[in-house]
Order: sequence, then C-alpha cells, then structure tokens
Amino acid sequence: MTTPAAEIAPTVHDSARSPPRPAKTLADLSVMIGGQGGDGTLTVSDLLGRYFRKQGLYVYTSRNVLSRIRGGHADASVRASRQPAAAVKPQVDVLLAFDEEAAELGHKELVPDGVIIYDSSVFQTSLPNSYGFPFATLVGGQVGQPIYKNTAAYGALSVLLGFDEKITNAVIEERFQRRGAEALQKNLKALAIGRQAAEAVPDLPHRWEVARGDAHDHILTIGNQAVALGFVVGGGRFFAGYPITPATEIMEYLQRYLPPFHGVVRQAEDELAAINMVIGAAYAGVRSMTSTSGPGLSLMTEGIGHAGAAELPIVVADCQRVGPSTGQPTRQEQSDLAHLVHLGHGEYPRFVLAPGTPQECFEMTVDALNLAEKWRVPVLLLLDQALCQNTTTSPRFDLSRVHVQRGAILTGEEVAKLTEYKAYRFSEDGISPYAPPGTPGVWAEITGNEHDEWGHVSVAVPNRLKMMAKRMGKLERARADLPAGNFFGPEEARVGLIGYGSTIGPIQEAQETLASAQHLSTRLYQPRTIFPVPVPEIDPFLARVDVCYVVEQNYTGQYANLLRESLPWHHAKLRSVRKYDGHSFRSPEIVQAVQGGV
Amino acid sequence: MVVSAKPVQPIWCPGCGDFGVLASVKKAASQLQIPPHQLILVGGIGCSGSIHNFLEINGIHALHGRLLAQAVGVKLANPELTVVAAGGDGDGYAIGMGHFMHAFKKNASLLYLVMNNETYGLTKGQASPTSQVGFEGNVEHPFDAILTALSIPVPNFIARTFSGDPKTMTTVLIEALEFVRAHRGFAFVEDLSPCVTYNDTYKLWREKVQDVAKLDGYDPTDRQVMFRLCQETRQKGKIPVGVMHRPAASEKDEVGLEKILLPDGVGPAQSDIRLEANLEGYTKLLRAVG
Repeated sequence: MTTPAAEIAPTVHDSARSPPRPAKTLADLSVMIGGQGGDGTLTVSDLLGRYFRKQGLYVYTSRNVLSRIRGGHADASVRASRQPAAAVKPQVDVLLAFDEEAAELGHKELVPDGVIIYDSSVFQTSLPNSYGFPFATLVGGQVGQPIYKNTAAYGALSVLLGFDEKITNAVIEERFQRRGAEALQKNLKALAIGRQAAEAVPDLPHRWEVARGDAHDHILTIGNQAVALGFVVGGGRFFAGYPITPATEIMEYLQRYLPPFHGVVRQAEDELAAINMVIGAAYAGVRSMTSTSGPGLSLMTEGIGHAGAAELPIVVADCQRVGPSTGQPTRQEQSDLAHLVHLGHGEYPRFVLAPGTPQECFEMTVDALNLAEKWRVPVLLLLDQALCQNTTTSPRFDLSRVHVQRGAILTGEEVAKLTEYKAYRFSEDGISPYAPPGTPGVWAEITGNEHDEWGHVSVAVPNRLKMMAKRMGKLERARADLPAGNFFGPEEARVGLIGYGSTIGPIQEAQETLASAQHLSTRLYQPRTIFPVPVPEIDPFLARVDVCYVVEQNYTGQYANLLRESLPWHHAKLRSVRKYDGHSFRSPEIVQAVQGGV
Repeated sequence: MVVSAKPVQPIWCPGCGDFGVLASVKKAASQLQIPPHQLILVGGIGCSGSIHNFLEINGIHALHGRLLAQAVGVKLANPELTVVAAGGDGDGYAIGMGHFMHAFKKNASLLYLVMNNETYGLTKGQASPTSQVGFEGNVEHPFDAILTALSIPVPNFIARTFSGDPKTMTTVLIEALEFVRAHRGFAFVEDLSPCVTYNDTYKLWREKVQDVAKLDGYDPTDRQVMFRLCQETRQKGKIPVGVMHRPAASEKDEVGLEKILLPDGVGPAQSDIRLEANLEGYTKLLRAVG
C-alpha cells in the first residue's frame, strides 16, 4: 500500500533553510520526548535507549511523569554519549513533541540548532527547526490504531539521526516480540510510515549522527533492578513490600527472580505488615528486606526500631521521592536522609548506606545483607528516585565481587558444643551468636523490651547500661566493615565537592566543566556510608580543601548539617548547594553555585 | 544438654483467665509432642501477650498489634516450624485489626489465639473493642470476632473457648494445632479469658456460655448455619462457644499459604544461600539483564 503524498506532507519551519549539509557527528546527544501520559513517551525513550546501547554508547534516560495512569504532561529524555554520563544533559538536541504543551515546555531547553519533530495531527507550531508529521493520523489510517504513533515517531527520529535500518528494526522486534506477532507487525508498519515521512523532507535525513561507542559489554538497567539482583545473589530469600512509587520495581523484579531460589515475595496489606513480616523472617534466620519510599518509611519506622531493639538483621531500601506527606510521588528528592539517620523513638544503632550507581546498588545491597547479619542491626539503603528509576548504562554485574558472609549464625553442631545458649550473650564486639528458631536443642526469647542475656524482660540498672553499650557500641566497632567512600578528581584540588546518590552524575559533569572551562580543579567525595558518619574518612578530605560544596536535593541541607554536627571544626568550609524542585540537578547549576561561591 | 532460656513466673494477677490458656497450651503441645525448638510463640503487647515468657519454647515478643504479620513472616520463612501467635483483644481487634482481617485471607498455617477479656488490663481497665456498652463509659458497640471470621469464605479453623472450661479448651487447641501442622491453613481461636482485676466476668460468662455443638442443626462445615446459630445465641443473651468452622476433612486439603508458595516444602530457611551453591542460577539470572 502506498501512502498518498498529501497525507504525509510534512509541515516544515526551518529558519536556517539551506542546501543539504553533511551529517554533524555528536559525541553526546540528548533527545527529549514529551506528550500526554499514555502517548507512549516512555516507549520511545526505551526504543532509543535500546538502539544507542547497541551502538556501544552510554545511555541515561530520565522520566518526568505524573502520578496517574493516563493523561497529564509526561516527558522523558534519553542521553547517548561516548563517555559515561549519569546525568541529564544540560540542553536538549532533539525534541519529539506529541502535543503543544510538550513543544512549549521542551523548546526552551533546546540547543540553538536543536530540532523539533512533532505530531502535526494534534497541533501546529512555527517554532524554528520544527518538522511536523501527522503521526497519529497516518498510523490511525494505515495501521488502524493511532496508538502506534510513538513507533512512527521513532522511525522519523531514526531518519533524522541516520540510524542503521537493520538495527532500528531489530530494536522494534526485541521490544515487541513478547506482545505477539500482530503487535510486532503493526509496530513494524508504523516504523516504516514514520521513516518514509521523514525521508520525504529534503534536509532532514541524517542531519545528525552519534559516533559509535565502545560500551558494548554493558547493560542498561535501573537502580531498582540492581537492588533486586543484589538481594538475590546476596542470599536474600524473603521480601515483603507494599506498592509505592518509586520503589515498586524492586518488589516486581523480585517476584520474578526469587521463587526459583526457594525465596518468598509477598505484597503485604500495608507497610506495617511488610516490615513486620520481614522481621518475622529475619527472626527465622532468613536474609530479609523490604523497600519503600517516604510515606511507607514513616509507617515502617515503628518496625525498624523494633528490629533495632531486638537485634534482628533486616534491610530496608528507601527510594526517596519528594516529601513531606504524599509530596510528589514521581519526582526526585533526597529529603529522607535526616529521617533515616535519626529514625524512630529511643536509641538504637543502624547503618545507612548510599549507593550512587546501579553497580553500587547491586554490590551494596549484598553489603547491606552481610552487615545486617554480622552486626545484627537494621541496615538502611538510602536511594533516590533518579537512581532507582532512570535507565543507566552500567558495567555487567560481577559475581566475583559478591561475597556472602553470614556472621555468627550457630548451626546445630555448634550449638551442641555449648553449655548454654543466650540469644543476647554479652561479648567483646557486641555480637551475640544466633541460633535461628528450629535449631535442634535450643530455644530463646527475642524481644523489643529491654532484656537480659536470655531475652527476659529486665529493668535492672547494670543490665540496662550493659545492653545499651552492647548495642550502641556497634556504631564504632563496625566502622572498618562499612563501605568506604569514593573520591573523584585530583587530590591537591583546593575546592571540594560532596554528593551522594544520583547527584554524583551531574556533579562529576560539573567537575569536568569547571576543569575545562574555568581551569578550576575540584575533588569530589561521595560518601557511601552516611551513618555512622565516617569522620576518619571525611576529616582529611575536608582538611585539604579551602572550601567544600555539599550538593544535595533537599531544602535544609540535611547532609551538610550532619557534617557540621559531626565535624564542627570544618564548619566554616562547608557551603550548602540545594535543590528541591522535584528535578535532578543539571551540571550547570552546580557549576554556577561553585562559581558564585554560594 | 545445652541450657536454653528458662520460663519465668507469669506477671498475671492470681486467678487471671490467661493461666488457663497457659495450662492448655502446655498440655496440647505436650500431647502432640511438639519439640520445644520447633514451637514458636509470637506474643502481642498486653498481659496475655507475655505468655511466651512462661513457656519453654521459642518466643518472640512482637510490636503491639503486629504479631500476626511477624508470625506470617516466620511461617513463610520456615514452613517446618509450628507457629502460634497469641495476644489480647485490644492487640488483635483494635491496633491489629488490619492484620487480623488479612490473616484469614492469607491463610498461612498458623494458630492465632486471642485471650479476650473485654478490657485493656495492662493499662488499667479501659474499654476495648469487645467491651460491652456501659463498661467504663463505653458507648461504642462490642465487636464479635467470630462473626467476622465466619464472614470470610476461606477454609480456616475457627473456634471460641472459655478459660473456665480448660478441658474443652485443650481439646480445641489440639485440633487447631493439628490443623496448622498439617498445612491446612489459618486457625483462629478466641478464648474468653476474664480479667479478675478490671473486668471479672467469670461468674457471668459461666452462666452465659452456650456450646454451639448442642444446638439444633450444628454444622461447622457450613458458615451460613454457624453464622445464624451464633447470632441467635447472642440474641438470647448467651455467648456461643465451641468449634465454629472446620473445613470438611480431606487429606488433600494442604491449602495453607506456605504450601501454595513452597509446594515442595523447601522454604527460605532451608535454601542454601552460599554463592557456590547457586552459581549456575545466578549467572543465568545476571546474563538475562538487558
């Protein structure tokens, strides 16, 4: 079937109309896709990500969606680069707009020669360098359902960016094969329609191209998937959770991953049940975890404190989103840090770890399981929406870096050699060897009440003092076991930067800009243990710099405040760079802050 | 013989109904010859929830109202254990109500034993969810957990006992424990256990209890019949006691949640989590990542 010429006639507004030019090669490209929720923006972003990945490029996709099933403005951006870049590119090169709002919002972020591709069956625009194609009408007429307009748009983009046709098709096949032969054929047809339409515009085809990269053996993943995989290989076998954005994927991945390894995953009736089911499983000697976000964390706070008092090893992943209360469920923030550090009534030890990349999410979930079981404390993973949900190119997860260290778990044979078994036995390191219930020959009392070594309720003063020392002393004694921080940039730099979680991507990009454009050399410290504050690691770092910018996504500067409290002698050097608008930092914001001296 | 935690003296007032429960639990466990290391008692918060301290078994003292969630976690982590959750009416029907309803729906094979004294004893006699109108100024209506349990169409075991009749209670507890040990699902037993200090109902309840098995048409496999019998008994000013529901006997009825999730009986606690034991599976899993 041929397409009538009139139907595909594109609407072109090219302010720089000129003879066909050679393809401009980019080492770093950003495509923004915007429209109404349900327009398929995330699908286009996924397709582009898959294509770029096959080209050996580093991919970083971020999404900006609303907390509703359909409708409302939604956009996604895909960055493809030859160098690793775990950050949203400061400016957009190509904008794909499914509606006028997307064009209005997106064009402000375009580079001067940036191109807009839009669906002219929905709206018209005279913005410069804009190319309208009636995707919805074309696809509606020829495929039968306008819903495939997103695949047609992907086809048009593939022409603009000089994509290899075979690989472009392969991406469609890879993505839609699971949906059945009919869906695949319809998508391939929509692809051809989009491609044909774009090819008809004289100077559009192959205007730009992205040089191939060498990241071929890498994977495309999200932090939440990495946490789920780390949990499985780290020996995690029980997970209970309650659906909550942006943490739900961890539970969903585990529902697929865990059963073949005799693991159990339960969706509980609420977060109170989830954390208590996890506590029950941990009590039974099984490595257990839950994941949640701010509102769920508030409910789980009760249970985490109970695990702290009863010395039961649990792991809780907190995928931070905008708070307080329901806040902005789909948006980026890092405002739970202070809550995790101080979590709960009363005092008990907890470790708060903060991975910054999917690879660290994978490896540090294993660390969290090992640390929880060895030290018999709750371990909290401080994650954030961007880290949890933005697709990132990552080195393959490496099993040779995984070590399952079970801590002092008593087997039946070991127990048989004892004269007595006390679940809370006093010991030099504060760790009481534990015989899970079911271990033949022994039984115990486990409780959140203050207790003696046997687990019997006790209000005796000497016992209370010894038990507090036993538990709280773990914060100091565990130091050497806790994940060390990362440092980036020359050691002799006089300007320091500090960031954790997903902000390290934009901070690293800012470091490059500062070095190349401003000749300012900086050193970045990425703490991976947030609490207990690794003072011995931070002190020499701060001692060497004249000034240090603490970059974080909250209003009050929660980590900066924690540092001021823990290293008051460096108080004067610390500057707080904060963002709390729901969007990830872009590197120019950090560059500006450093230039301006905040 | 390794010395483990010894039971301590009960904190209960002399004459407390919970003593009857303690004695019956001991008798039932001993008659079924459940080894102490395989018997887990998850206790709630309140006088009754401290029962695990007075038994020579594995005990875990849960948070207020959360004992059922913890008990389900224990059972799913290690399906070989015999799990009992025990607490009071405030713990189960007030702060723990959400988990209570979901326990029937989940249908994990564990026994939930509620010691109902129609008051908050430990905090000195406030009205509880089961308190009668007028008790300590209570103007809310009492809650009947058995009617709620009967309304959820899941093949659970449901019974009400009375501490004043320890012999029957022991018989019921044995049946309930056998039920959960056979992976047949959730067992709920509410025991009427008077608080001699703040709500001494021994005499009143002794007069009011009505054995449902003695009523015309008694059929614990039929929820509708039992619902009607319970309501009629209440309307006569009596309190129905006895086995309220048991699924029709069938050897194949291993319908407990742990059996559905872990049909071969190998659960998280039995799983070998050493890396070297899982290399093939893990490699395959990681290779499939995009």
